[in-house]
Amino acid sequence: MAKKQFLLLASLMLVLSVFLAACSGKDDKKTGEKEPAKGNDKGSEETKGEDAEDASAGLDFPLSVSNTAEPIEDGEMTVALVSDTPFEGTLNRVFYSGRPDAEIMTYFDEDLLELDGDYLITNNGAAEYTVSDDNKTITIKIKDGVKWHDGEPVKASDLLYAYELLGHPDYTGTRYTFTIENVEGMPAYHAGETKEISGIKVSEDEKEISITYTEATPSILSGVWSVPVPRHYVGDVMKGDLTIEELEASDKIRVSPIGFGPYKVAKIVPGESVLFERYDDYYKGKPALKSVVLKVVNPVAIIEAVKKGDVDLATIPADQYLKAKEIDNIELLAKVDLAYTYIGFKLGKWDKEKKENVTDPNAKLADKRVRQAMWYAMDNETIGKELYHGLRFPATTLIIPVFASFHDASIKTPSYDPEKAKALLDEAGFKDVDGDGFREDASGNEFVLNFASMSGGETAEPIAQFYIQNWADVGIKVQLTDGRLHEFNSFYDMVEADDPKIDIYQGAWGTGSDPDPEGLYGRTAAYNYTRYTSEKNDELLKAGTSEKAFDTEYRKDIYNQWQELMVEDVPVAPTVYRYALEAANKRVVNYSIEPGTENYRPWKWGVSE
Amino acid sequence: MKDTVIVDEKQLIAKEKANNPSLLRTIWREITHDKMALGSLIILIIILLSAYLSPLYIDQEAQHRVNFLNVWKAPSAEHWLGTDDGGRDVFGQLMLGTRNSFTIGFMVTLIAGLLGLTYGLIAGFYGGKIDNIMMRILDFLMVLPSTMFIIVFVVIVPNYTVVTFVLIMSAFAWFGKARLIRSRALQERELDYINASRTLGTPSLKIMFFEMFPNLSSLVIVNMTLTLAGNIGVETGLTFLGFGLPSGTPSLGTLISFARTPDIVQNKWWVWLPAALLILVMMLCINYIGQAVKRASDARQRLA
Repeated sequence: MAKKQFLLLASLMLVLSVFLAACSGKDDKKTGEKEPAKGNDKGSEETKGEDAEDASAGLDFPLSVSNTAEPIEDGEMTVALVSDTPFEGTLNRVFYSGRPDAEIMTYFDEDLLELDGDYLITNNGAAEYTVSDDNKTITIKIKDGVKWHDGEPVKASDLLYAYELLGHPDYTGTRYTFTIENVEGMPAYHAGETKEISGIKVSEDEKEISITYTEATPSILSGVWSVPVPRHYVGDVMKGDLTIEELEASDKIRVSPIGFGPYKVAKIVPGESVLFERYDDYYKGKPALKSVVLKVVNPVAIIEAVKKGDVDLATIPADQYLKAKEIDNIELLAKVDLAYTYIGFKLGKWDKEKKENVTDPNAKLADKRVRQAMWYAMDNETIGKELYHGLRFPATTLIIPVFASFHDASIKTPSYDPEKAKALLDEAGFKDVDGDGFREDASGNEFVLNFASMSGGETAEPIAQFYIQNWADVGIKVQLTDGRLHEFNSFYDMVEADDPKIDIYQGAWGTGSDPDPEGLYGRTAAYNYTRYTSEKNDELLKAGTSEKAFDTEYRKDIYNQWQELMVEDVPVAPTVYRYALEAANKRVVNYSIEPGTENYRPWKWGVSE
Repeated sequence: MKDTVIVDEKQLIAKEKANNPSLLRTIWREITHDKMALGSLIILIIILLSAYLSPLYIDQEAQHRVNFLNVWKAPSAEHWLGTDDGGRDVFGQLMLGTRNSFTIGFMVTLIAGLLGLTYGLIAGFYGGKIDNIMMRILDFLMVLPSTMFIIVFVVIVPNYTVVTFVLIMSAFAWFGKARLIRSRALQERELDYINASRTLGTPSLKIMFFEMFPNLSSLVIVNMTLTLAGNIGVETGLTFLGFGLPSGTPSLGTLISFARTPDIVQNKWWVWLPAALLILVMMLCINYIGQAVKRASDARQRLA
């Protein structure tokens, strides 16, 4: 009975959110991607490259605004959070999951260690670091004058607190990843055996923290977690003030969060908008703007909003590029996005007890030839060219071309070739036995795949239909899960829960800036939604972040092998890479989307009128 | 002698029938005497015929095919009403959509009518406590926000098809009808013929459906005709919200729901405007016919 009631309640809640979302229009793919584990997502050696430049041939966008006027004193700026769903509002790096939340956090929260253009940590931010000779220990020293918004200084133990939360046995989020687990003593702490993490030491004066890792890996320079959590403000889980669950639901994270970034949260209208005010004691200096309003704008209305000048900054969904090009009070900025879209094949289940992925050898799509065939059957080139005017282009491997030193362009990946797809299916024994135009599986049973896809943007529906049609052309019967597209949140809820109604799904990843794919495809990664595992995969992923991998050549070789393995095994078929397009009103100054530059940081942004 | 009496009786009955023509005949007479209604009927028949016969001249397979080389084309000789976001012909979708939308509206009206009729007849016929209880239940059902509930069901139903959609819609569309029928049935049960039938021991169900119902039929027909027009609109509204038909089922609502971005409203009128106009025309037609039917059922209002 209780279960029934719960189900009813759950469905009601779900529906309510879906309803609201649907009222306001459709989601865009760009917001429709999940942020991966933060611990892993910062760059590594030589991440920028010429490949990215090549790919943009023909499409030439600036990375910074051309307006060079002086920003006015006390300006106000409105930034659009382009999404058709309300933002979740879990405003803490340890707990959040959606990209809109991450965007909100950039204004009031920061990493202690700032990143440069190659996504490597630097000493320019709120803290400085040194790495020991054996590459196993990193010492982070917080600079003077770095204060939380309530005036308290940022302490080393606040950073320790983040680690304590991430590794806590009760932590249910997805950021307990390799870089966190690799901290000495973390596994014991995670298992609940001790109350302290032996590898992390905080100095007497609360200014310095040293983190020692079990294994030296190149990920330290890119993936070290350096976002502190204000222990004094949100309450101490370690002392038993509250539980993790209470903390995650607490108003101090959702309604009035604090950070030490350039702007402080003045008011949050849940799901709709956030008003930021200048934080005068920001450690770098006085931020340029008096206030910033961040509001959710529906992708379908974004063009009008930008045109009217209602918003100063906005990401533009690729399907509206042509319309954005015509507006003359804005400038379009773009770079190759750290993201790709893909088709995922459900191959197993998530084992909650062991917290690892378990591949089911009897899964519908267990035969990799069928998966390869489905990749061959998809005509991504047409989609990219015709629908996105070249703003998206066919994807090849799972390491995006932005990581020039690791992306292996020489691997031959499936491209549109229905004949080849048919041949592969024949080889796998999938033949049309009953003559209905669709193939049956190897043992002659009916073979129907349920395809889950997100609603969003003008093109979501035709794209889903297009793929279904592509697969039908080679004889695979695919139908939409529940006969319709799903809204962003419910889509990922279903995918995450390994809903049996989903055999394949179309998703998108923000890859983060570390090429290490462990967080997305590892055996213990909750984000590995396809639940694909294999020994070879484990081995390669481990080698990619081992001590030997400080040698770029070695790492490159490992990742090439990994990319090849992924093309061979196809747990996911990447479909398109994309450009991230952003519109800035001409009155915006000191704004850039190039990582590592000064104007990339929110405190410099200003307006000239 | 005997023979002539019989003949007389037959003649009398025939005479009686001529004076008191059947409802259908009255309706037909009423419609032919009202130019608006007649015109509406002809237009509606043309629209429905071309929609329902569309499989004869539209290749459905080809119609569903997405072709990205051909998106958002303006009307031309090849595509009479241009193409949509997937390069699909809008005219074909309009025809198939009309077929789906009308079928759905019709089925919903029919099923909801049956439900409402049964419920109202039972409540009205028995009256008293039973009526009281049944009406309180109905009161409760009527305060529920039915759109929300329809959406809930659409989301949780495991195998979502046109049939389930029709059933869900009908489950929420009969409340008002039950009310209406019940109030008329309450009046009717006080009449002598019902009492006589009861005294003779006729089973209640038989009285309800074979004696009472025919006397309410005019009310039912009028009401159903008028709600039919509304039910085409209901499907459209839900599809617009994104909870209408399973995707890939063309309907008028799907076409209209394209009109969600300013750009499409301004520059790509051919996708949504024809569907919107078609709904308008169909609703007007059904309404004019409905008015004629309504007049036919009430001798004082008749034009003919």
